[in-house]
Amino acid sequence: MGMTSTIYRRIKITSFMLWVAGLTAVALVGVVGMGIVFVKGLSVTNLTDLVPWGLWITIDLSSIALSAGAFLLCAAVYLLGLKKYQPVARTATFIGLIGYSMAILTLLLDIGRPDRFWHAMVYWNTHSVLWEVTMCVALYFTVLLLETAPLFGKIPFVQRYLPWLSTNLEKLHHLAPFLAIAGLGLSMLHQSSLGATYGVLKARPLWYRPNLSVLFMVSAMAAGPAMTVLVSMIASRVSPKIRIKDELLEGVAFFVGWVLVGYLYFRFWDAFSMTYTYEYGRTEGLRLLTRGNLSFNFWAGEIFLGIVVPMILLLYSKTRKNPLTRMLALFLVVGGLVAYRWDTNLAGQLVLLSYLPSDLTAVYTAYFPSLIEFIAGIGVIAYGMLAVTLGIKYLNIVDHGPEQEEIVSEAIPLTAAAD
Amino acid sequence: MAEKSTERRNFLKIAAAGGAAVAGLRFATQGSASQSASTAVGESPYKWAMVIDQAVCTGCGRCTLACRAHNDVSPDISWNRVVPAGEVDGKQVFVSRPCMQCEHAPCVEVCMVGASYYRADGIVMMDYDKCIGCRYCEVACPYGARAFNWEEFTGPNPAVPTWGQPEVPRRPRGVPEKCSFCYQRIDRGLAMGLTPGVDDNATPACVVACPVGARVFGNLKDPESRVSQLLRENPSYRLREDLGTSPLVYYLPAREENIHGHDIHDL
Repeated sequence: MGMTSTIYRRIKITSFMLWVAGLTAVALVGVVGMGIVFVKGLSVTNLTDLVPWGLWITIDLSSIALSAGAFLLCAAVYLLGLKKYQPVARTATFIGLIGYSMAILTLLLDIGRPDRFWHAMVYWNTHSVLWEVTMCVALYFTVLLLETAPLFGKIPFVQRYLPWLSTNLEKLHHLAPFLAIAGLGLSMLHQSSLGATYGVLKARPLWYRPNLSVLFMVSAMAAGPAMTVLVSMIASRVSPKIRIKDELLEGVAFFVGWVLVGYLYFRFWDAFSMTYTYEYGRTEGLRLLTRGNLSFNFWAGEIFLGIVVPMILLLYSKTRKNPLTRMLALFLVVGGLVAYRWDTNLAGQLVLLSYLPSDLTAVYTAYFPSLIEFIAGIGVIAYGMLAVTLGIKYLNIVDHGPEQEEIVSEAIPLTAAAD
Repeated sequence: MAEKSTERRNFLKIAAAGGAAVAGLRFATQGSASQSASTAVGESPYKWAMVIDQAVCTGCGRCTLACRAHNDVSPDISWNRVVPAGEVDGKQVFVSRPCMQCEHAPCVEVCMVGASYYRADGIVMMDYDKCIGCRYCEVACPYGARAFNWEEFTGPNPAVPTWGQPEVPRRPRGVPEKCSFCYQRIDRGLAMGLTPGVDDNATPACVVACPVGARVFGNLKDPESRVSQLLRENPSYRLREDLGTSPLVYYLPAREENIHGHDIHDL
């Protein structure tokens, strides 16, 4: 028995180290890729004047959407009073911090003049939804930093050698309800505006509809918490030291299942209404999604595996209670969201409309990311996975132990603050 | 459509009534057009427009080449694109497409840093020093008028000196670029007391280079300018008017009655 546990522990350590080493290696290759992009410029991508937004935008949109667990769970805990979910909110907040840092990193990669990233803060076109998104992302990243600050204050090294810093970082707990309000407002704004970024463009008839902002919001409300629960479950299965309260994770998974019902409802009417009467550009775009190059992604990735199957698995109590089928469902929700972002971004650009009065035919173009786009993009994802792994290991971001519950009561109750 | 013609009638009434005043104002503000970028649209005595006669255009592409030389544009990019657009009575017709200089420009609306903006004289300008290269404008433009600098344009420009000399600096890598109605020629010309659309040195290079005179440039706020006259006396249209962008580039359509042997100078 002693023998096996020693071996077991040794294998455990080794596999963790291998995992970290592997992710670090991939992230470092990604850094080299990013270096090439910064030196050589965007000519190393397969982006063109016809398809100027590609893989990196998809990673950017997906990491922001998959971070939506943070604002939802903080709102649930601090605004709706569902205090028992506080440990899950901790996990979601840290994942959010990493997710938004991934998005910012990918955006830096994607813009032609990364040296001017600060222009977005200084020069304002308040009429641009992308300006609003940029401001919200910057402000919300600050909120996430403040929300996760207590986690960093708990690092033993900080507690031991920088007790002043540690105390002050932990004191930021008291702000949690206010940060939850700010997070809710900022997230509802920019999660929707990312859809509106596409939705306001009249030149692209497939995009030009108000539904996109609602759909981006609702899909993020499903996939964000799904990501949080999935990470928590994987962590608890990999490391026996991590304590989880499965009824909390199951509760969030049940919520995801119900959001998928609403999401499917919105998706159905959104797509169905577009099938009536021919509209130049929109019909061709819809054809691309339902019958063309993107049809497998659309039917299998987005709708069947991304919504219908996980919806059933998460609403049917037997499959929801079974950790394996629950994890499968959550994974499918995450995959479905990425497929939706990828398809939405591409479908609007792959249909080329003529501006000639005599010629109202739409033609299709194509896009497939270049090797360097993959290397840099996968590098960003590896960085995110590495950061979350280290957070789980050293910041205990997935931990439903009793000491985490005290924190909620330390936060200023909103009613008291209002008095 | 009814709304537009009312607009034009009102505009002409106002213009006729205040014609002398406008002429005086125009004289007084000559040379200050380059500072006009900071003032709101409508305060300028100018509203630059281009009229392209499709019955005359032969699709030779000299507009594109002159543009490349004068604006130092890379051979990979065309600010002005000449596209075949069907046949009329057996004769090939073309659409020559500069930037439309839309009065409601999607690129200006979506630019997050305000690097795309309206000049008071209607020109949609790019501030290449402000742009961060996100390419939202490119995705938003219905006319494909913008081209991104995926690479830096280095080395000699093959269009120089045959088609002209560069008048503006090259754009850096990582920003989109587009036609500016040769604002540099307009501003310099006005400063020299010339009239854009009349004097070659104050007129966009593509208009000057056109060997058949298919392009006419001028001030829409001057009812006596050739563009105003042409639009008053001929049927015209703009590209994708359904989008509500209100371009300042007008086309005189090729028709069976004017496609053979029609001369714009008779108009």
